[in-house]
Amino acid sequence: MTNVTELWQKRRADYWTMAVKYLRLIGNSGFLFTIYLLFVFGSYYYGQFLQWLPETFPAVVFFTVVFTWFITRGRVRTFMKQGDLIFLTPLEGKMSSYIRSSIIYSWIMETFWLLLSILVLAPLFFDRIDGAGSTLISVFLLLSGLKLWNLLSGFEEQRILDKNHYLVHTLLRTGLNGVAIYGLFTQQPLWVIGLISVALTVFYVGYYRRLARSYSLKWERLVDIENQTVMTFYRIANSFTDVPSLKSKVKFRRWLNPLYGLVKFERKKVYHYLFARSFMRANDYFGIFIRLTFLGALFISIVNIEWGRWFVTVLFAYMTAIQIETLKNHYDTSQMIELYPVGLDSKRAGHQFWMAVLGTIQAFIFSITAFISYGISGALVVFILAMATYLYHVQLRLKKKYETST
Amino acid sequence: MSELLEVCKITGGYQKSKPVLHDVSFTVHPGEMVGLIGLNGAGKSTTIKHILGLMEPHNGEVLLNGRTMADDKDGYRQNLAYIPETPLLYEEMTLWEHLELTAMAYGLSKSQFEERANALLKEFRMTKMAKWFPSHFSKGMRQKVMIMSAFLIKPSLYIADEPFVGLDPIGIKSFLDRMLILRSEGCGILMSTHILATAEKYCDRFLFLHQGKIILKGTLKELQEQANMPGSDLDDIYVEMTKEDRHD
Repeated sequence: MTNVTELWQKRRADYWTMAVKYLRLIGNSGFLFTIYLLFVFGSYYYGQFLQWLPETFPAVVFFTVVFTWFITRGRVRTFMKQGDLIFLTPLEGKMSSYIRSSIIYSWIMETFWLLLSILVLAPLFFDRIDGAGSTLISVFLLLSGLKLWNLLSGFEEQRILDKNHYLVHTLLRTGLNGVAIYGLFTQQPLWVIGLISVALTVFYVGYYRRLARSYSLKWERLVDIENQTVMTFYRIANSFTDVPSLKSKVKFRRWLNPLYGLVKFERKKVYHYLFARSFMRANDYFGIFIRLTFLGALFISIVNIEWGRWFVTVLFAYMTAIQIETLKNHYDTSQMIELYPVGLDSKRAGHQFWMAVLGTIQAFIFSITAFISYGISGALVVFILAMATYLYHVQLRLKKKYETST
Repeated sequence: MSELLEVCKITGGYQKSKPVLHDVSFTVHPGEMVGLIGLNGAGKSTTIKHILGLMEPHNGEVLLNGRTMADDKDGYRQNLAYIPETPLLYEEMTLWEHLELTAMAYGLSKSQFEERANALLKEFRMTKMAKWFPSHFSKGMRQKVMIMSAFLIKPSLYIADEPFVGLDPIGIKSFLDRMLILRSEGCGILMSTHILATAEKYCDRFLFLHQGKIILKGTLKELQEQANMPGSDLDDIYVEMTKEDRHD
C-alpha cells in the first residue's frame, strides 16, 4: 500500500456505507417516533424546568463539569484494523498523512456533537450565563478549538505504553481543560483567554510533540480505541434493529429466576419454558421491555393532559407488545426444536402466556405511576387501556401471526 | 424380523430438478447398529434429514415402526433421537436446562428426568458444568450435551451424525459403551461416521453411500464378497470403492 491517504479514505467510506445502512434502519424504526415525542414534550417542559430551577443553581460549575468531560473524552478515530498490526506497522514512518486525516475527521465529528450539546443547553446558557447569542457562538468556537487541542495531545498521549502513566496524562489534560473551560464560562477578559490559548499551544509543541519523537505508535491501543467506537455504534444501532456483527451476550439475570417457577414441568409447557429463558436472557428482549416500560412510566407521570396520557399508555404498550412478538422467530435457525414431538399449538400458547404475564406486569407499573401522580381513577383508566392493548395482541394479533405462518 | 426403520426407495433433495438422493432403500432392525458411510457430499446428511422428517422425499417413503411421519407427526418424532454433527444449543440455557427442556418435550416425568440426568452427567463427567452456559463449553462439551439429551429420552431409534467429532477418548468410550447397552436392549442405531476403524468394530452392518446412491450394503463379510476383497478391512474397501467411482 503506497498511498496511505487513499487507504484512509477508503476505510472512512466503508465505515459510512455500513453506518448509513444502520442509520436508515434506525430512521425507519418506531423508536425515532419516541425521540420525536420526547422532543415535543421536552421542549415544552424545558421552559417550565428553567423557571423551577432555583436561582442558586451553580450554572457555571454545571457547564464547566459537563464540557470538561465532553472535551476531554473521545479519542482520534483511526479506522485501524486488527490486520494493521502486521501489514501497516512497517509503514509507521509514512503514516503522517493518514494520522492527519484521522485527526481532522475526528475534529469535525466531535465539533458536530459539541454543536448539538450546545444547542440543547443554549436555553440554560441564555437564562443563567449570558443572554447574548454572540457570546454563545464565541464559546462554541473556543470549545471547538480546545477540542482540537485535546485530539492532538490525546493522540500523542496514546504513545505512552504504561497504563498508569497514560492515565496520569489524561487526568492532567482533564485538569487543564477544567481550568480553561471555567475561564470561558466565567467570561474572563480576552487577554486571559489569549494567555491560556498560548500556554496550551506552547505546551503542545514543547511537550506532546516531543512524546511523538521519543515513543512509537501503540498500534494495539489504536485498534482497541477503534473497535470500541464501532462497538458503541453497534450497540446503539442494536437497540433499534438486529446487528449481526454484535453477538449479543447472554445475560443470566439470576434475580429473575423465581419467574421461571410459573412454568410447571409438563409436556405442554415446553415452549413456556423456552420462551421464558429466551426473553429474560437473550438478545436484549428484556432490556427493551424494561426501557419501554420505564419510558412509558416516565411519560405517564409527566404528561398531565388526560388524553395525552391515554395515548402514551396505548402507544408504549403497543410498542412493547410488538417487541415481544418478535420472540416467535427466535428459534428459526434451531433445528432441534423442529424435532420435538410437540405441536405448534403449544408454541403459540407459550408465547401468549408470556405476553400476557409481561403485559400485566407493565400495566401494573404504568398504573402505579399514574396512581402516584393522578390518583385512583387515573390509574384505573391507564390499567384498563394497557390491558386492552395486550388483550388485542395476545388474542388477535399473535394468533393471526401463528395461523399465517403455518 | 420386523423393521424399526424402513427407508423405501426415496429420491429427494432441496430442489425437485436436482435430486441429491436416488432411489435409496435400507432398513434398521431393532437391536442393530448400522453405519452410514460416504465421502463428504455423498448425501449422508440429506438422508438423515429425510428420516428426521425435516425434508420430504420427492418419491418413496420413510417408515418408523411401520408408520410415516404424515400418519402421526408427534408419535413419529417421539420415537427417535438425533445427535447432530454440529451441536445445536440454546446459548441462553444452561446444560441442566437443556436436559430439562428435552425431558419436557419428550414427556418424561420429573423424577424420571432427574434420575437419568444425574446419571448421565456423572457418566460424561459434566456434573460440575450443570449450571454452565454453552458459551463456556468446548466443542466436545457441546457435543456431550447433544449426546446426553439423546440418551435422556430413550427412544427406539438413535440417529447420530458424526458423533465423535471433538469428543475426548473417555467421551467416545462412554458414548460407544452406552450405544452397545442400548443395542442389547433392542434399540436401533443409525450412525454416520468417517472413523471407519471404530465403525468396523461396533457396527453390525454398513451402508456405502456415494453420489446419492447406495453402492454397497451389508455386513463386513458381505461387503468383502461384493467388493471381491476377502479379508480386507473397511478402510481398504472404502478407498477401493471410491477409487472405482472416480473412474466413472
